[in-house]
Amino acid sequence: MMAENKRSDRALLQVDKLCVSYGLVEALTNASITVGEGQIVTVIGPNGAGKTTMLSAIMGLLRSRGGITFDGEAMVAPEVETMVARGMNLVPEKRELFGEMSVEDNLVLGSFQRYRMGFRDHAQTMEEVYGLFPRLRERRTQMAGTLSGGERQMLAVGRALMAKPKLLMLDEPSLGLAPLITREIFRIITQLRSRGVSILLVEQNARAALQVADYAYVLETGEVAMEGPASELAGDPRVIEAYLGLGGKHQEMLAT
Amino acid sequence: MKLALSPRLVLAAFIVLLAMAPLALPAFYVTLLNYIGLYAMVALGLVLLTGVGGLTSFGQAAFVGLGAYTTALLTTSSELPGWLAWAGGSPWLALLVGLVFTGAVAFLIGKLTLRLSGHYLPLATIAWGLSLYFLFGTMGFLGGHTGLTGIPPISLFGYELRQGEEVYYLIWAFVLAAVLTASNLLDSREGRAIRALKGGMVMAEAMGVDTARSRMVIFIIAALLACASGWLYAHMQRFVNPTPFGLHIGIEYLFMAVVGGAAHVWGALVGAGVITVLKQWLQDLLPRLFGESGNFEVIIFGALMVLVLHKARGGLWPILVAGFKRVIPVAAQRRSIDRDVPALPRRELPAAGTVLLEAKGVTRRFGGLLANNNMSLEVRAGEILALIGPNGAGKSTMFNQVSGVDTPTSGEVRFLGESVVGKGSRTIARKGLSRTFQHVRILPTMTVLENVAIGAHLRGSRGVLSAAWRLERAEEARLLAEAARQIERVGLGEHMFDEAGSLALGQQRILEIARALASDPCLLLLDEPAAGLRYKEKEALGDLLRKLRAEGMGVLLVEHDMDFVMGLVDRVVVMEFGEKIAEGLPEEVQRDPAVLQAYLGGEE
Repeated sequence: MMAENKRSDRALLQVDKLCVSYGLVEALTNASITVGEGQIVTVIGPNGAGKTTMLSAIMGLLRSRGGITFDGEAMVAPEVETMVARGMNLVPEKRELFGEMSVEDNLVLGSFQRYRMGFRDHAQTMEEVYGLFPRLRERRTQMAGTLSGGERQMLAVGRALMAKPKLLMLDEPSLGLAPLITREIFRIITQLRSRGVSILLVEQNARAALQVADYAYVLETGEVAMEGPASELAGDPRVIEAYLGLGGKHQEMLAT
Repeated sequence: MKLALSPRLVLAAFIVLLAMAPLALPAFYVTLLNYIGLYAMVALGLVLLTGVGGLTSFGQAAFVGLGAYTTALLTTSSELPGWLAWAGGSPWLALLVGLVFTGAVAFLIGKLTLRLSGHYLPLATIAWGLSLYFLFGTMGFLGGHTGLTGIPPISLFGYELRQGEEVYYLIWAFVLAAVLTASNLLDSREGRAIRALKGGMVMAEAMGVDTARSRMVIFIIAALLACASGWLYAHMQRFVNPTPFGLHIGIEYLFMAVVGGAAHVWGALVGAGVITVLKQWLQDLLPRLFGESGNFEVIIFGALMVLVLHKARGGLWPILVAGFKRVIPVAAQRRSIDRDVPALPRRELPAAGTVLLEAKGVTRRFGGLLANNNMSLEVRAGEILALIGPNGAGKSTMFNQVSGVDTPTSGEVRFLGESVVGKGSRTIARKGLSRTFQHVRILPTMTVLENVAIGAHLRGSRGVLSAAWRLERAEEARLLAEAARQIERVGLGEHMFDEAGSLALGQQRILEIARALASDPCLLLLDEPAAGLRYKEKEALGDLLRKLRAEGMGVLLVEHDMDFVMGLVDRVVVMEFGEKIAEGLPEEVQRDPAVLQAYLGGEE
């Protein structure tokens, strides 16, 4: 498969024995994952397994213990701003748009850190984003709060892309989206990879996620329970039994 | 198991310390403690009002004034009008009159201002706070700015409380009674409704909570606490003038609540203590430091406030508790659920096939946008109807029209044969409709159990007073047992006592289903219940919905997971651009070209 060939040896993100606790409760225990350059890596697992926690910790939104190496540099106690400046971006589960601002202003804010670092290419990046999401161009003067669910997700992804990230972390990108829009989102995810963006994907449609991903991890109760090339995990009976189920023709279609 | 103190023991130790304080401390500190007690009562009202209920008031000092002036007038005046003569001369009767009077004034002011939202309410409290203050100063019979003197001391069983350490016990008895009353109230059915006011109004109304009433309840309680504090103050000082009831004191009370921990009843004590002691200390220290006199402490208070808001949003109480527990472990107070209580009575479900919900020609316009256009649908008892369609097609808007959260521009909605257009979600909830929300609406700092118990609100009836004095424990046990049963039914049993906000998003959706079930509905409206769930979790949800259907419940659901929907539901209604484009059995709809094009895809 094409995806197999694409796997590069260079790791863009290396997370080593990451632990996060909320008070006395440990939400993540010794989770180690790697995202190679140009790869889509997905993390599947039940609700409450710690997937969102893991993304937040990598992004520096939560305090964690363990090692995070990003783009060849070990990050000690990562902070959100530095991570964004280094080329990491997170599209959170709840989108967190600026509802009272226009679509375009939301996008411009996405390039804030780059602008501060002296890059003045946001107009061009915005064109690229509009190229990916023509719908956003149609709605660019509209307030973000008035968008439909699918458009919101597009805007959230678009805003993250404005920072020209090397690694894009997507937390449940298809949450609440209709099948057609979900398909579009998955198409864009693969398109982004071909543009050289690496992606760490947490997604409820496990079947579709495994279909687009190169490599996958199964996270259960805060620990990595299984890992392997996505196509192998998709055929693993234990994964099928717990996360995919049989049949599911509609889900199958989402990643086509 | 580590050895840990029971919370009751800690409380008992605190009371013993309080009781011994006047014996051990010099008179000056006893006076200071008296003031702390007086302030704490007002701050406690603000904890309920602002910290818990989310209503900010700058005007509490005026209520203290009402209490103080009422008793001052009644106990000193020799020429009371005939109808009030019975209350003359006795502080205790004056307290009664003061409470009734203050309650009435608060009710009136509340009626006029509590509807205001956002920053308008705090502004309104400033307005009436100022008005009452100037009223005290200008009314001739209240002594103008010199005030009233010669107020008698309070006598208890014929013994006059003249000295600071004598009135001390009375003040602190009042404080402790108020704190216990407030904590009892918050830990009850009415209390959950009050705690839902901050950030959960839409949800609470949908669960049948009369939020306007709950707001009024805490407003009046806060005013009564302030009034009692004023009464004690007047008889301790033995004279009153308008100064201590001005707006700046009102602001100081708010300081106390926020610094102490506005969301915790004991925070009121801490805040009152810290601010009072600090003020005393700074008033001594600062003029010496700056070499001249002036109100320098106000500046320090301002800085302190900014610091607290930055570093400790929750106030000092949570920090103190954490620190204390590190030194002396205190056992967590865990709710026990009594499973043996008789189950709550259940609604008689309509026979299978009965039309539960009927929407006819529902149109909803937002300005120029037609969110729903001539939409009709019908849900029967014992069936699951799916409402599907692209994002932005108007499905959630339709949900809001039929559940009373919103009112259609035109069209008819009937529930169990009765028109419910414009009835409001509370009325419809009472009739047996319960719902979940697309964007979860939970109270993140309350436990899963308490969140679900809000759903059972309408199945209890005991009011504020019985909650405050723990006379409703039998009913409360039944409500909690019911909530626990629903939590276990949806599979969240192990999270019963966790904070709802700590659950993953998918679990929060399941929590909403348990909350809806706790109201014992005959029709369930579920807005994307399976979003964010994994395969196994979806299977469990499907099983639960099948079981509910078999029991005769009607279910209307919006959902995007077609594998989940098509294998589960009886009929499907498809929407696009606010209109119905198809309706039928799942197999029919899946073959419909219009549906394939608009929604499902695969029409290449």
